[in-house]
Amino acid sequence: MTVFFIGLALVLLAGIAAVAVRSRYLAGLLIIGGCAAALVPAVRVLAGGAAPEVRLALPGPGGPWVFGIDPLSAAFLIVVLVPGLASALSGLRDSRPVGALLFAIELVALALVVTARAVVPFMAAWEVMAVIAYFLVIADHDRAEVRRAGLVYLVATHVGMLALLALFAIWAGAGGGLTFADLAARAPLLPAGGAVVLLLALVGFGVKAGLVPLHFWLPDAHASSPSAVSALMSGVVIKMGIYGIFRVVGLIGLPPAWFGWLVLGIGVSSGVLGVLWALAQHDLKRLLAYHSVENVGIILMGLGAGALGVTYHLPFIAVVGFAGALLHTLNHALFKSLLFLGAGSIAHATGTRTLDQLGGLGRRMPLTSVAFLIGSAAIVGLPPLNGFVSEWLVYQALLGSGGAGGAAMPAMLVGVAGLALVGGLALACFAKVCGVVFLGKPRSAAAELGHDEGGSVVGPLFGLAAACVAIGVAPVVAVRPALAVGAAVAGAPVAAAGLVGATAGMISLFALGVIALLGLGAVGAGVVRRRRPVGAGATWGCGYALPSPRMQYTASSFAAPLLALFGPLAGVHTSRSADGAAFHSEPRELVLDTALVPAWHRLRAGLARMRTIQHGRLWVYLVYLIAALLALLLYLTGFLGTVRG
Amino acid sequence: MTIWTAVDFVAVLALGPLLKGVATRTKSLLTGRRGAPVLQLYRDLARLWQKGAVYSTTTTWIFRVAPVAAIVTTLAAAALIPFDGREAMVQFAGDFVAFAGVLGLGRFLLILAALDTGSSFEGMGASRDATFAALVEPALFTSFVALALATGERSLGGMLGSGTASAWAHAAPSLAMVAVSFFFVLLAESSRVPVDDPATHLELTMIHEVAILDHSGPDLALLEYGGALRFAVFAALPIGVLAVRATVPPLAGLGVLVLGSLGVAVLAGVVESSMARLRLSRVPQFLAAATVLAALGVILQVLA
Repeated sequence: MTVFFIGLALVLLAGIAAVAVRSRYLAGLLIIGGCAAALVPAVRVLAGGAAPEVRLALPGPGGPWVFGIDPLSAAFLIVVLVPGLASALSGLRDSRPVGALLFAIELVALALVVTARAVVPFMAAWEVMAVIAYFLVIADHDRAEVRRAGLVYLVATHVGMLALLALFAIWAGAGGGLTFADLAARAPLLPAGGAVVLLLALVGFGVKAGLVPLHFWLPDAHASSPSAVSALMSGVVIKMGIYGIFRVVGLIGLPPAWFGWLVLGIGVSSGVLGVLWALAQHDLKRLLAYHSVENVGIILMGLGAGALGVTYHLPFIAVVGFAGALLHTLNHALFKSLLFLGAGSIAHATGTRTLDQLGGLGRRMPLTSVAFLIGSAAIVGLPPLNGFVSEWLVYQALLGSGGAGGAAMPAMLVGVAGLALVGGLALACFAKVCGVVFLGKPRSAAAELGHDEGGSVVGPLFGLAAACVAIGVAPVVAVRPALAVGAAVAGAPVAAAGLVGATAGMISLFALGVIALLGLGAVGAGVVRRRRPVGAGATWGCGYALPSPRMQYTASSFAAPLLALFGPLAGVHTSRSADGAAFHSEPRELVLDTALVPAWHRLRAGLARMRTIQHGRLWVYLVYLIAALLALLLYLTGFLGTVRG
Repeated sequence: MTIWTAVDFVAVLALGPLLKGVATRTKSLLTGRRGAPVLQLYRDLARLWQKGAVYSTTTTWIFRVAPVAAIVTTLAAAALIPFDGREAMVQFAGDFVAFAGVLGLGRFLLILAALDTGSSFEGMGASRDATFAALVEPALFTSFVALALATGERSLGGMLGSGTASAWAHAAPSLAMVAVSFFFVLLAESSRVPVDDPATHLELTMIHEVAILDHSGPDLALLEYGGALRFAVFAALPIGVLAVRATVPPLAGLGVLVLGSLGVAVLAGVVESSMARLRLSRVPQFLAAATVLAALGVILQVLA
């Protein structure tokens, strides 16, 4: 564990170096060294080593501060540090030195959240992470929408914090120990199988993870922050909510059946609604933020299947479900960071994030477009990339092992159909994004300014893309550790997963075969093309003489048929001008605009009526004071009178 | 993997264009015309392969890669189907996810190639293509779930091959519903009536045809062949469910495959000549019907 803490200290030093010495190179080197050092014990634990633990008896309430790296923490350390490092390196370039320091503190807080083994250090690190994230989000605080996004995020995260405090208070009970081991020991004594605890965990960690309907802060916060911060928040900070739910499920031991069904249902609805709302967006970063909601839904589907497997004593479903959720957490961190960094590069180069003003960037930003395309194919779940591997694991869990699992059968239909619909909608959405942004002709003057940024931006992009391809082509590297961690959380032997680990090798062959055939085909097509008369011309437009770039299909038109199917659930608000000559559509955040904001306004109106008490007349305030004192005296003497008598 | 697996695979590769010719000839005969020869698509492919190509100046490398990707992904998907009724060339647990995924990869690149041209016609076709593809996925996967429940297998080779023999004994109604659902999916994925009309010449009414409007020469040959192969691959799904070939000798199995594919092509031609393409707003209802049929197949087995 000392290596781990040294690594975290190096990361902090990198932030301080960015502020004190103003040297970006030094900060970059230190952060690479720090993350690498902190990863060493995690990799050692995943490779089968013993789980280290350290107890620090600090003065103050709450017992000793325990930190440890067990397999779940090790897996999430990789999720935190690898994409976090890529985002940090990419953000070093155009962040202010204070931003770099805050980023470093955020990384350290995230690593500490994942390795804390007692309530007090967990909550302390959680709060530091949440508040520093707020400061990172409002980096551009001159703009009103950024301030509003930050405020909504702050309120939401503290509502979650309250739920977490209640969760741990109820769980530890009066005078109980506050380490995770003590909580696990107390779990069988919880009333109603821990119903209240589990619901509070879903609310508290769900706000951070962004599951529907607790996701309302996510789109604004992720869209308004700088791209490296969006990459960190979407790729890493959201996963802390997932880590929390994993940890609670692991500590509870035997979750009740309704919990697994609830998580599966929330997963399906988050997945479908998330990608549907993503389809409706005109803004590139808001679209990517809604896709995070969708992927959290997929992760929860795996988690729900795993929880059901634990409840019904089906070790295959338990192990494979948790493994699928874990692997999808890592995969999503990788490709979502890649997509956000690419979106940031596009926004920085062209100055706009609106899809319908971009276009033709494939020629102007070739490197960024290739990396973004790989990230898009990965997030849709297409072989031979990594998204396919984790979705395959979740499908395996939902189907169960042949024959067994009578009680879990109906889950399969909803889960499998939901996951298939999510995949299809995601394909439509990312075909829209890649096609409208990178292909065709530039739709505005802003799009013509696109250019590839320097190596410090494109480098992390290709690093993340290479990781996506590597996991897709050699899934055994990731599937076996994921199965081991899933088994540790489920409390079942790894062998319960059966041949899933070996089948990952077959996927490897299949993926390599597809890539080899594609390469051969491309080479062959090139050879054939060279032997034919090839001409160039304009795109056929049925003989129309003067096509303009504005005549291309727009992103909102591309998504319109799918959105029309879902009606008001898609949250698209359309308006026409009085003479019908102008048409405007805008996506609305349904939960925020139809439920929370009106509820808040009604609450304010109701509370405003109480303002009549506060009218500024001093003598009435004195009457209030005297009345309160008299009432207190009467209460005390009456009480004392009855006690005496 | 036996020699017959490879033989049947090659037979399907060779027969694909014939199936399209049979479907078109059936439609022509039923509407009172003589129609084009059944082998016309082979001649078309040979003619297109000799020609040169014209590329739009708006297009990038994606436009040139897409036809290759369409063929390669359809071949990879075909490798997962057990054409001989026993096992597939490539088989592993959960490979139906790979089947849908690799076909999705081809479709993704084709949609991008359509948007690459910067034409509003192709954008419209790409958008409708993406919409219908998104709605076909639940139908396809629900059918696979029903098959997995009936046969107890987790790979396509088992679900459509050796596992169906015993499944018919106890889950016959479910399998019948799954076969009908697969036929609906075939009509949707190979862009035939009632989802799309392959014979229309008006760009505004095309869906798949307009998405590949700008391709020419060898690229168009690859795309046409890919479409024919796609028809053959999706026709093998209901044949795999309905025609149990695990117990018959391999040569008879090959004959059953060929006759069954021709029968499916004739059926597609009959459907094409007896109804018009559905209104675009009704196609999602058609695809939802396929999903509901497959879901009924699942529910029947859960209740039994």
